[in-house]
Amino acid sequence: MRPQLRALTFQREKPREKILEIDRVHKIFNGNGSFLPVLEGISFQAASGELICFLGRSGCGKSTLLKIVAGFIPPSSGKIFLRNKPVEGPGPERCVIFQEDALFPWLTVQENIAFGLKGRGQDKKSKAAEVERFLGLVGLTEFRNYLPREISGGMKQRVALARVLILKPEVLLMDEPFASLDAQSREEMQNLLLSLWQELAHTILFVTHDVSEAVILADRILLMGKNPGRIREEIRVDLPRPRSRDSGAFLQFSRRLHEALRD
Amino acid sequence: MRFLPGIIPALFLLVWIMVSATGLIPTYLLPHPLEIAETGYAYILGQSGEGPYAGRFLSDAGASLFRVGCGFAAAVAVGLPLGILSGRLLVIHRLMSTTVNALRAVPGITWLPLAMVWFGIGMKTTVFLVALAAFFPVYLNAAAGARQVNPLLLQAGAMMGVRRLRGTFAILLPGAMPHLVTGLRLGLGISWAYLVLGELTGVPNGLGAVIMDARMLGRIDMIVVGILVIAVIGRLSDQLLQGSMKFCFKSARRIT
Repeated sequence: MRPQLRALTFQREKPREKILEIDRVHKIFNGNGSFLPVLEGISFQAASGELICFLGRSGCGKSTLLKIVAGFIPPSSGKIFLRNKPVEGPGPERCVIFQEDALFPWLTVQENIAFGLKGRGQDKKSKAAEVERFLGLVGLTEFRNYLPREISGGMKQRVALARVLILKPEVLLMDEPFASLDAQSREEMQNLLLSLWQELAHTILFVTHDVSEAVILADRILLMGKNPGRIREEIRVDLPRPRSRDSGAFLQFSRRLHEALRD
Repeated sequence: MRFLPGIIPALFLLVWIMVSATGLIPTYLLPHPLEIAETGYAYILGQSGEGPYAGRFLSDAGASLFRVGCGFAAAVAVGLPLGILSGRLLVIHRLMSTTVNALRAVPGITWLPLAMVWFGIGMKTTVFLVALAAFFPVYLNAAAGARQVNPLLLQAGAMMGVRRLRGTFAILLPGAMPHLVTGLRLGLGISWAYLVLGELTGVPNGLGAVIMDARMLGRIDMIVVGILVIAVIGRLSDQLLQGSMKFCFKSARRIT
């Protein structure tokens, strides 16, 4: 990792102020006359700076939940509050990292990262400095002039991270963002995410079906079950950070989760 | 690789020269390439008065370009925004699609008699035909382009706080750009076809008019020159269109 970040990779004091509240959210999909309940009675709160993983098998509605929090689709009932204000529609205070490539293919790495800043009342110089800073934070300074099609999947997700982090979102919503990467890039991206998180202290909701990913990242894991999707169990991950992927405690924790996921 | 595009025209010319040399085809059906070259030279660079067609090129090409320009511009001005709207809004799509597809099924040439009654012979009829013919490819491709823009990109824009107007220009149009360019190119191509149709009706000047005039005078060499001139200008205008799209839009440069 970059040196200026390494120093920050310890356990840190986190403010525990409530930032996000999901209150009894239900979602029913209505497809040609039949009603399919996808989410049932989802309630939880996220503290500021907390990293929460939603762990569940495919079809448990975890992506749907994320889309509802993002404001892309409305819940059938229930409410979402960000700092006690109800959420309606998408907005830059709740940014999403998609699983698929969602970069603008006609913009370079640098232009993609600068995209969200346009139209914000901020002078050109400070915008350019911000872009520079985030290019550096995700390690893409040398690739600034490349187009998305010219860089790897891992690099694309770095750009995706930088282009939303630059907007200073309060909550980062990540929908299996590293699922399509090879094992090594996935690990790199997890480390990068952790160091960015330590530095910038966002609240993160992270959806995954990968047990070890949840254990390496999360403060708290919400285990989801399906038919209909619901929160089955809440597991606090009290392993000290930085966490090692081959420590006994880590493996034990992962094994326990695997079993819980199977039931 | 650089001379690859020239091979087919060169072969064609070679065969033509050989056929002419054998004398199997009489020159009133197919003149010798040299004769074509002479006529072409006189047409383009000669002084007017040296022959029936000498020096007419500039005024003919100017008149034709102006007609194509007006007709094509009208088609783009209406077809492009309407196509984008119909690609994004189901209401507009439902409103338009039956009518557009019915009209599209009518061969453009069918409008010629009606256009002549409405607009008389000349400029207006030609522009009308060109605009009508170019509208369909521009409209249909713009609609297809706007429809297939990756919804994820629009969602990404919305979450980054992009509002509708900026989203249209910063995401929708660039995302649809490959289709937009295709539509414009097809539209411009068909504009030349309908230009000649419009000019065949007896206008005094224009590239189509020259060809028709040459037919009546039995000047087959001039017909061939006219065909070649239209081929060259058509190709150049296509390149100019592509070039200027690439010059003006990043998306045309980078993803088409």
